[in-house]
Amino acid sequence: MLQANHVTKIYSAGKKIALQDFSIHVPKASVYGLLGPNGAGKTTFIRIINQITQADSGEVFINGEKLNPHHIKDIGYMPEERGLYKNMTVGDQILYFGALKGMKKQDALSQAKYWFDRLEIDHWWNKKLSELSKGMAQKIQFVVTVLHQPKLLILDEPFSGFDPVNANLVKDQILQLKEQGTTIILSTHRMESVEELCDSVALINKSRKILDGKVFEVREKFKQNLFSVVLSDVNSENLEMLKNQYKLVNIHDQHGLISFDLNYNEDQNLLLNDLMKAGKIRSFDEKIPSMNEVFITAVTSMNGQ
Amino acid sequence: MKNIFIITKREFLTQVKKKSFIILTLLAPILLIGFGALIAFMLKANETEYTFNVIDKSGVFQQNMKTPKDVKFIYLPESTEQALTTTLPEMVDNVDGLLIIPKLQDQNFENLQKQTQLLVNKNIGFDVKQNIAFSMSEVIKIEKIKNLGLTEAQIENIDKNFEINTKNVVDNNKQDSTLAFGVKSGLSMGLMYVTFMFIIIYGVRVMRSVLEEKNNRVVEIIISSVKPFELMMGKILGVTMVALTQFAIWITMTILGAIFFNQGFSKISGNLPQQEEIPLDKLDIQGVFTEISHSLLDMNFGIIIFVFIVFFLLGYIFYSSMYAAIGSAVDNETETQQFTMIGILPLMLGMYGSFGLINNPEGPMAFWLSIIPLTSPVAMIARIPFGVPIWQIALSIFLLVISTLGMVYLAAKIYRVGILMYGNKATFKELWKWIRTS
Repeated sequence: MLQANHVTKIYSAGKKIALQDFSIHVPKASVYGLLGPNGAGKTTFIRIINQITQADSGEVFINGEKLNPHHIKDIGYMPEERGLYKNMTVGDQILYFGALKGMKKQDALSQAKYWFDRLEIDHWWNKKLSELSKGMAQKIQFVVTVLHQPKLLILDEPFSGFDPVNANLVKDQILQLKEQGTTIILSTHRMESVEELCDSVALINKSRKILDGKVFEVREKFKQNLFSVVLSDVNSENLEMLKNQYKLVNIHDQHGLISFDLNYNEDQNLLLNDLMKAGKIRSFDEKIPSMNEVFITAVTSMNGQ
Repeated sequence: MKNIFIITKREFLTQVKKKSFIILTLLAPILLIGFGALIAFMLKANETEYTFNVIDKSGVFQQNMKTPKDVKFIYLPESTEQALTTTLPEMVDNVDGLLIIPKLQDQNFENLQKQTQLLVNKNIGFDVKQNIAFSMSEVIKIEKIKNLGLTEAQIENIDKNFEINTKNVVDNNKQDSTLAFGVKSGLSMGLMYVTFMFIIIYGVRVMRSVLEEKNNRVVEIIISSVKPFELMMGKILGVTMVALTQFAIWITMTILGAIFFNQGFSKISGNLPQQEEIPLDKLDIQGVFTEISHSLLDMNFGIIIFVFIVFFLLGYIFYSSMYAAIGSAVDNETETQQFTMIGILPLMLGMYGSFGLINNPEGPMAFWLSIIPLTSPVAMIARIPFGVPIWQIALSIFLLVISTLGMVYLAAKIYRVGILMYGNKATFKELWKWIRTS
């Protein structure tokens, strides 16, 4: 749905490189995570897609078409630093932002009603934003973002400042929108939400892309062949042999259950055989790194170079 | 471009719905008049009438001296001098002073003046003293002239007002009488002041609106939908519409008020019997109003209104874009002050320069102030009631249009960068960087 090719953005006449040779492909009707530390270049890229700033070189295509002003009505954007007019009523604001995205008043009203029902916010139409609590204001913010039924939704740190209940609500809406065909780009450095929501990710650090791909594949790529094992009815002798042979670590004994981790990258069946000699296998898990671990590993190793 | 209209509409409605707008628009004229009335009342209430005992040993003054304003003279015989002098300190509540005029000897007015004494028991104020002295000197003047052998009637004839009939051979207009001149100056200053105040008040509103959007972070959402330039222009135009609306309401109120007062006044003057003289400093009110309306009609009203509207709008857009840029460059209102002060200087220069313009409407200062774009919005408006050659008006408008376009262009560049920047210490160096890279 969205294709970026070699996008570069430089500020201050060369002194600050915000984005360098950045290329990604975002599949349609997926949730795409744009990950990276603060200052990596995520917001720069997002602003380029939103045509708030212009790339210095490279191109962005939406559905095969080069980025141009009429794409604005197809994109919904919720920035990281966000807010609404405090003294305007909820209704006026929703209609105003809808109008700016090219919506007719009728459409804006019906869409607003749809979302108000979904998010369970009634009776707020005539209230000023300053009269609402923060959680309520956040919901309105979300409605403003999705009101015009954008094909591409860009959410920059969507969960920051949301309490767990509302964060969950937004998460559900995101997944529902995906089912309905919306493409969603999620920019965040909170990895828990990535695993729950994202289909694919790209990781940016210091203006460069350091990895991308489907979440599953990325995690696989970073696995370190770590296994977690829990044994019962352990044969101590054989356990000692195991310890020496496989260099077991994190060994714990809980009520007769022995748990440990080990590193192994050969035929798993051989390992299982050896394990069975030491006791009954209660659980045998390959430790796939979480996105959090992937993130930290990728970034620190790049910074270390 | 349709977006500009949407933004203008929002800006307009937001400002107009505010209670402060409604109150200010409707109440301001009333407040102004009330304030003026209050001042007048205060001044009137402050007027004290002073009472002086007078002992006129010369015998010249009692019959002839005109009592000055706010003063009451009580003439008493010479024999009371001693008593009056002694009791003066205690008589604080009844009498303010004692004027002792000595005998006139050998028509020596010099000595008379030197020996005249004014004893006071309180601080009577500079004005009163001057007025008494003036009244006395008038009497002496007439006495001196009488000594030269002239009668009262002949003396009155000497002091007539001399008005010169001027005719401009180039312009073919009659030059202004004093009253006409007064009307023109009044109109000139009035319009100029209104322009000045409006530019500042509404320019600041644009600035505040920009700051509000920056501070509550709504700006990034907006500029994902519209270009920053459209946002800035929408804002400026929206506030312009508010200003024009307020202006229109005030003009309507003034016209209605004028009609109302005019009708009321003509009713009153119609009811008065013909012979009764209205004691208003011997001014012929009918004549005054006739001359005012004549000079107003004499002035080319079409040009004046045209110039006023054009220069007001252009000047307003010029300064509002500057204000928008300032608002976008800072994070809060305190930081705006360093910039607004500098920005306002040309306008103030124009305004204060315009005061001198009245006395020399065709002089070099008037010319330059009304041509240079920074000062022309106020200076040309101040100058127009006195008549300005068409080519100068055209030149000034041309320069102002170019400058306004330039200012809008520069401001847009600063605005585009500034609205997304927070925490930056805004200096002129920073702004210049933004202009270059934007």
